[in-house]
Formats: sequence, structure tokens, C-alpha cells
Amino acid sequence: MTPEEILKLPSMPAVAPSYPLGPYRFINREFMIITYETDPVLLRAAVPEPLVPNAENYVLYEWIRMPDSSGFGDYTESGIVIPCTFNGEPINYTAQMYLDDQPPIDGGREIWGFPKKYALPKLEVASDTLTGTLSYAGQSVAMGTMAYKWQEAPGGCEAQAKGMTKTSCNLKIIPDVDGSPKICQLVAYNLENITVKGVWVSPARLQLIPHVNAPVADLPILRIVGGKHFVSDLTLPHGRVLFDYIKDAAG
Amino acid sequence: MNKQDVLKLSSMPLQSPTYPTGPYKFFNRQYMIIQYRSDPAMIRKLLPEPLQPDGDIVSVQWLDLPDGEGFGAYSAAVQTIPCTLNGEKCNFLVQMYVDNCPPLAGGREIWGYPMKFGQPKLVTESDTLTGELVYAGQKVASGTMVYKHSSPNDLSEIEAMLKRTQVTLKLIPDIDGTPAIAQLVGINFDKIVVKGAWTGRARLEMVPAVNCPMADLPVREQLGGLHIVTNMTLPYGKVLHDYLA
Repeated sequence: MTPEEILKLPSMPAVAPSYPLGPYRFINREFMIITYETDPVLLRAAVPEPLVPNAENYVLYEWIRMPDSSGFGDYTESGIVIPCTFNGEPINYTAQMYLDDQPPIDGGREIWGFPKKYALPKLEVASDTLTGTLSYAGQSVAMGTMAYKWQEAPGGCEAQAKGMTKTSCNLKIIPDVDGSPKICQLVAYNLENITVKGVWVSPARLQLIPHVNAPVADLPILRIVGGKHFVSDLTLPHGRVLFDYIKDAAG
Repeated sequence: MNKQDVLKLSSMPLQSPTYPTGPYKFFNRQYMIIQYRSDPAMIRKLLPEPLQPDGDIVSVQWLDLPDGEGFGAYSAAVQTIPCTLNGEKCNFLVQMYVDNCPPLAGGREIWGYPMKFGQPKLVTESDTLTGELVYAGQKVASGTMVYKHSSPNDLSEIEAMLKRTQVTLKLIPDIDGTPAIAQLVGINFDKIVVKGAWTGRARLEMVPAVNCPMADLPVREQLGGLHIVTNMTLPYGKVLHDYLA
């Protein structure tokens, strides 16, 4: 293997890279998002500066079913997103993510800094209920339920597709081989080529159970705001650096 | 969280880092190492320059790691190629499969261990030390060794073998898809205590699989097995070669 071949590799291991080069296309990606209100002090502690958490203290708890993802295959994800602002601009910060497929965990962490860990999330229709569950290291840590396709969301597919163009960001941390930080950045990306195939809102309930390695319950539920269910095709492209802690943290 | 505390995080996510800071001690770490003769042209193809092949005897190893600091209990399967870098003897790690995410994420992100998720298993089945590797539902490798037939007199040779520098090709992309890190990394285990070692006959079988291509290094001749139980410490590594420099 020559240096030129090595520099063209998308990922480790060279003999069979975990993930190919992007962008990554997702077909029939299905979301259940339950919005709840939490404690403002705990919310502030969970969000890295210079991001500012939203004034309503809302948290989005998500399940995402991804049956057809280029490079990654078929998998399911669950996690926490916190609406924030960066320099006054609205942005969604991804705080925790759990999924059942290692290549998107590796690629997610190494390219965009998605805070992904391995666990067993599930999103399914059980009789009349859209049901999300999350099991980490053998223990159940989250359970969310929505009434199934109860009511079409106001604005329909078009409004939902527009909403999904909102900028998202992650805290990307990659250590150097000596243990010091090599990459420590806020990284931003925007979904592209979004087609929404259906979107519904309904009453929802959510239970989060304290667990040290999957601390989804660290942001307690004070009030459930509601649930949203939608199905879409979309593209996840590469992104850009918003803030570099190694270069900019002194300021 | 303020900016200075962000810089102190050992890993993602902020609310529960996947792995702590090292070094990492391992207790009762058990190896089955099966050596075999393979194809010299394929060895040359899989070795990143400037590493040079050191013979045509490669290995597939199964590891049982019941007690790893920060990582917990897990198993691994590894394929290695002996090589030299500037004349120094080392082992290049071609591919590794583990069944536990924190050592997988930490392994890739800190040292560039070429780890993917699989289901390796190292167990004693009646009279046979048995290694298995399942990837995406398919059995792709199995190894067997006679159980504790003979023990070498001098354990210091085993210790010297475990001290040989491990080399990985660490690749981490930047957010725009270009390479951010492309290095050969050297790792040397520390505080090795060999608690037992045995040699004996062994056999290896590998099945071609695209995402777990252990069989790309074919078996030309079955050689012997080595069974080791150790305590050891995995420290940080050092950059041996930087492809971006």
C-alpha cells in the first residue's frame, strides 16, 4: 500500500474500511420526536459554550428508523437533541445518540463528532401505538409512545421539509495518540435533498430511566409538549467547523 | 459546560464520555494466537509503506478480555503481519473485531486500532481451545488449539514477544471529508505479567466476507498455536510516521 493509496482511504481498517466517503443518502428514514420541557440549570450544564440553550428549556427525545442508508445499511437510533443558538442563530445540538450498527457509529463520531454509542434502540408500530424503546447494556433506559398517525401536522410535508434544513451541530472530540486533544470542535452540517413523505402530530408520553453510561434521564421531564412522526428521504453531507476549542477557547 | 471543561473531556459524548483517559490496565487477558504461512504478494499489498514485510508467517489471534479498565468485559479477534520499520521488528495490525463499543471507539480514536464490530468468542470446549468470529450474522473464522498440552520453560520469551511494537494505521477524516489524521502509530504494552503460556497444534479456517476480509490473507500452511494468560497495561502510543507531514 503506497502513501497515495493510504491518503485516499475513507476510514480504518485499510483492508475493509468501516464506512465509504460521503455524502450518505437515507431512504424512508422514519422519525418519532417527543418534545419535553426540562430543568434550565441542568440544561445549561449539558450544553457546551458558546452554544446557548433555548429559552423554553425544550429537549427533543428522538427515535429514528433507517432501513436503507448508503454505506451504513439498516439500523435504528435513539437520542437527545437540544435546540440552541450559536451567535444568535438557531441550531440543534445533538447531546446523546445510541444505535445498533457500528459503521455509522464510527463514521458518525469520526467525521461529524456525533456523540454515538452502541445500544439497542427500536421503533415500531405495536397495535395502535408508535413505540420507541432503548436498551443499553441489557437494561431498558427509555420508552416513548405516540398515538399512531393521529393528526396530520400543520403545514404538512412542505413545512416539515423546510424545518429539516435547520443547521445542526455536534461537539467533536478526537484524542491524539498521546491522550491530549487532537480535534475539539463544534461542527455544523445541514441535511440536503429532503423529501418528506408524511408528517403527523399526536399526544405522547416518555419515560427515561437513570443509567450511568446512557444518561438519557439526566435532563428530567417536567412536562411533555407533544410528539411528531414523519418519514423522509434525505442526504447527510460533510460539514464545517463552527468553533475550534483548541484554537479559540482562550477567547 | 464552559470551554475549558470541554477541553478536559476524555471523549464524546459530553454527558457520559465513552471511555476515560488512559493508561488502561487489563487483568487475566487471554490470547490464542494461531500462526500460518500466507501469500507474500498479499502481505506486501496489505502492508502500508514504509513498513517492510518480515517473512510470510502471519497470525490470527483471539482475545478474551474479562476485565479491562474503563472498557469492561469483551472479546476480540485480530489479524497481524510481522514487519519492520527502519529495521525495527514490529507487528502490523491489519484488522480487529470486538463486541464492545467503548474499546472499539477508544481503540480507533486514540491509537487507530483497525476495529470493527463483530462477535468474536474464545472458549474452552471440552478438550479444545476454540475461537470463533461472526460478522453480520455469518461465521467468518474459526480456530482450534489443543488445550494446555505443553508449556515453554522460559516465559521471558513470551514476554518479549508481547513487548514487540504493535503498529496501526490511524485514519481520522476531517469534517469536510479530507484526511485529518493519517499516521502510523506505535504501541508498546507495559507492565506485562505472563501468568501462563502453552504451545501446541492448531488449525485455522477463514471464510471470505467483504466487510470482514480475514480470508484475504489465505492459509498456505497451518503452523502452531500459542495460548497465553497475562496482566498488562495499555499506555498511550507514539507517532511513527505521519502521511500528512
